[in-house]
Amino acid sequence: MLGEFEYLVITAAAGLGDKAYGAAIREEIEATTRRKCSIGALYTTIDRLETKGLLATWMGEATTQRGGRSKRMVRVTAKGVQAAKSFYDAVLRVSRGASWATEQKGTVS
Amino acid sequence: MMSIGWSLVETTAQLLEGDRREAVLGDLLEAGENAWQALLGVLSLVLRLNIAEWKSWRPWLAAFGVSLPASFLLMGVSLSVSQGAQRLFSPALEATALGNVLPLLLCKAILLVGWSWSGGYVVGRLSRRTIWISAVLCCSPCLFCLARFRVPSQSRFCLLLFLLPAIWGVCHGLRRTRIRLASMIVFTLTLMLLMAASWNSGGQRWWTPRLWILDAILIWPACYLVAIAWRENHSKRQWKQQKVAI
Repeated sequence: MLGEFEYLVITAAAGLGDKAYGAAIREEIEATTRRKCSIGALYTTIDRLETKGLLATWMGEATTQRGGRSKRMVRVTAKGVQAAKSFYDAVLRVSRGASWATEQKGTVS
Repeated sequence: MMSIGWSLVETTAQLLEGDRREAVLGDLLEAGENAWQALLGVLSLVLRLNIAEWKSWRPWLAAFGVSLPASFLLMGVSLSVSQGAQRLFSPALEATALGNVLPLLLCKAILLVGWSWSGGYVVGRLSRRTIWISAVLCCSPCLFCLARFRVPSQSRFCLLLFLLPAIWGVCHGLRRTRIRLASMIVFTLTLMLLMAASWNSGGQRWWTPRLWILDAILIWPACYLVAIAWRENHSKRQWKQQKVAI
């Protein structure tokens, strides 16, 4: 099963679609979790997920904003989508009956 | 103009591989981080990558299975070769003794080069990112022995004769130079035959357990190279078969 941070990386990359690359994923994670995401943690996680076949990466275009350096583009594979879905389902199942989950459900409905 | 801080970041980033360095430095620039934050980011990545590398058996084997034990043993062989060469060029050497000294010296010299090269190749191939740890583990015994070397007729640097072929092997290993199966089999068998010859000429017999254990440490990298060459050969053949089938 995925780890929490692995799930965040896959979900952020999936949300960004064609525009998913290192800096964008990092920004997305920091914005949604309101937590600092170190570049070391991000890149080692991307490497690990790529080794597991959950992500695919390739070198993309270079921009002047990046000092003429290329981006490492990221795409979530079908296996990655499946792994993220399993993690999400597990979180939902385990959260059933938890006070914060029921409160939130009550608020929404 | 690039600040000193960013120059330091760029220098530190040299520890990363080409594409990864490019992406990381670009991301740090795009995020608008200052040089200090960028330096910490790069350092944390380098550290994490190194730690991740040690989760595999490969760097452990390269460091503690080859570098450390082989450097001790190869220093002994280097000294033996050096003493043999000194004896060969000694004016006191009789013509009858030359026939005994020269073949043994040649045998040991070839073994020294073969063992060192194969050991270096395996270290370079198995521990690309952790090569510096293997280098430290190889150099520590060398420095220890150099400091304590007390043979008046010999230079202390004769202990380091193995370093040149070992570095040559490391370079080949790092570049993953292709090795042919047939050549590696011939190479390993030659080393084994020379080992047996040197045991018998040294007044000891091949079944002595001490010789087996010590020489096994030196010969296993060559055997490992045969296995690598066989695996590469096998996967190449499979790939060709798949291509034909398509």
